[in-house]
Amino acid sequence: MLLNFDRLGWWKYVLLAITVLTAAFLLLPIIFIAALSFGSSQWLIFPPPGWTLQWYRDLFADPRWLESAWTSFTIAVIVTILSVLLGLVTSFGLVRGTFLFRDGLKALFLTPMILPVVVLAVALYAFFLKIGLGGTMVGFVISHLVLALPFSILSISSALDGFDKSIEDAAVLCGASPLEAKIRVTLPAISHGLFSAAVFSFLTSWDEVVVAIFMSSPTLQTLPVKVWATLRQDLTPVVAAASTLLILLTITLMAFVAIVRKVLKQ
Amino acid sequence: MSTYSDASSVSVPLLKARKPTGLSGVVPALIFVGIFFIVPVVSLLLRSVMEPVPGFGNYVALLGSSTYLKIFANTFIVSGLVTIISLLIGFPVAWALAIMPGRIASVIFSILLLSMWTNLLARTYAWMVLLQRTGLINKMLIAMGLIDKPLALVNNLTGVTIGMTYIMLPFIILPLYGVIKKIDPSILQAAALCGATRWQCLTRVLLPLALPGMAAGALMVFVMSLGYFVTPSLLGGTANMMLAELIAQFVQSLVNWGMGGAAALVLLVVTLLLYAVQLRFVGSQNAGGR
Repeated sequence: MLLNFDRLGWWKYVLLAITVLTAAFLLLPIIFIAALSFGSSQWLIFPPPGWTLQWYRDLFADPRWLESAWTSFTIAVIVTILSVLLGLVTSFGLVRGTFLFRDGLKALFLTPMILPVVVLAVALYAFFLKIGLGGTMVGFVISHLVLALPFSILSISSALDGFDKSIEDAAVLCGASPLEAKIRVTLPAISHGLFSAAVFSFLTSWDEVVVAIFMSSPTLQTLPVKVWATLRQDLTPVVAAASTLLILLTITLMAFVAIVRKVLKQ
Repeated sequence: MSTYSDASSVSVPLLKARKPTGLSGVVPALIFVGIFFIVPVVSLLLRSVMEPVPGFGNYVALLGSSTYLKIFANTFIVSGLVTIISLLIGFPVAWALAIMPGRIASVIFSILLLSMWTNLLARTYAWMVLLQRTGLINKMLIAMGLIDKPLALVNNLTGVTIGMTYIMLPFIILPLYGVIKKIDPSILQAAALCGATRWQCLTRVLLPLALPGMAAGALMVFVMSLGYFVTPSLLGGTANMMLAELIAQFVQSLVNWGMGGAAALVLLVVTLLLYAVQLRFVGSQNAGGR
């Protein structure tokens, strides 16, 4: 009765009201920011007195915004490639391997997911200062890879877990080399896992702030660090413009993921 | 080699089990994680008992000062509040999502995902603007006649709690939805047939059945909140620090690695302990379940 929507009676309306209000609460800041980015008020008065594209012009006029976006993108792409490759090799070992401490090893690989990011950020900051990687591109890639790898291992090993190895064995019996069988039979079959791994890895790096704050230098900063540094100074509407573009990117990515998932299912 | 057709090959899997395979696959990741995760974290924690002098001086200083204890208190109070509020809102929403018609539910799910996927800084920025003295929330409250003058909603723990609840809600709704969706509706029907009132059905059947999911979600949100850095520093202002900010401050502005390491160890220990509790709790629930 409580799990039947039509037989809930007036409780149905209470539940619906809470749900709709929560959805509005979740949506409010996103719509609000998009509206403000076109508002003409420097002080972010809402509703805005007029509409303007001024903040977008300011955003694109300042080369540091574009530079930091490009830095973020480069780092995220490199991290994605490395994370998927390393995740793939590791997942084969974890799923098919028969060695001691296999589960313990998997738990170890997933630990960066549950560790408070600030601890990792501070630890890597100290470590990179010692070995001279602080403020470098390599430092950025390594630290984001530490955070992205668990997601990659998780997605790929669960896909590989669901794949029947005897199909790969059959390909070998039919004359394929073991490597060829892996590439032409197994990889296509786990492509949805590889895709999830890539999306999660990219987003982990692209959106990451805390480690990036510690890794950045005056000459090398990612987009989130640029937003962070700007926000520490004042609440300029230029950040609203940047945020709106980021939200747009999110929606595009969500649509892209939905389409690819559909294609992969067929 | 095929082992399926050959009856004499029973020993082959046994041999395989004895000789470890697949080890080479995990070696690169093991080296990477060893150098860039274990070594840095362990050496940070070691610094807490080595600098400036060997001993537990940093821990005595950290746990003996009222300034730092206030920061610990802030951290636990905010995390606790965020967890409770998320649970109170999250349960009805997850419940509604589990039973409402699919089309409406999928709209709500898209909103949940959109909010989760939107850049964290963009969301926090939105709340900084919404909650300020001249912001939309204060204006709306005044227009509705609920308050006379603007409330201080930002640069204090109220702001942090609102902003963090916003971020954590999806993390409690999604797992709870999964748990409630799995509950067999006929159990509740049976309870109703046996004469249970609606309220009894809720408190005696639905809530206990959803409890493992609620506990798991709540623990996860609590642990995530304890170590949160970005939202507390932007919405809380400098006077209302939380633990993660303290760690960052020790390292960045005070260059006190000993104290930074000690605070990091405290956060790490609490986090891992709570995860252990969660693993045990959820694990035992699964073992006892059907």
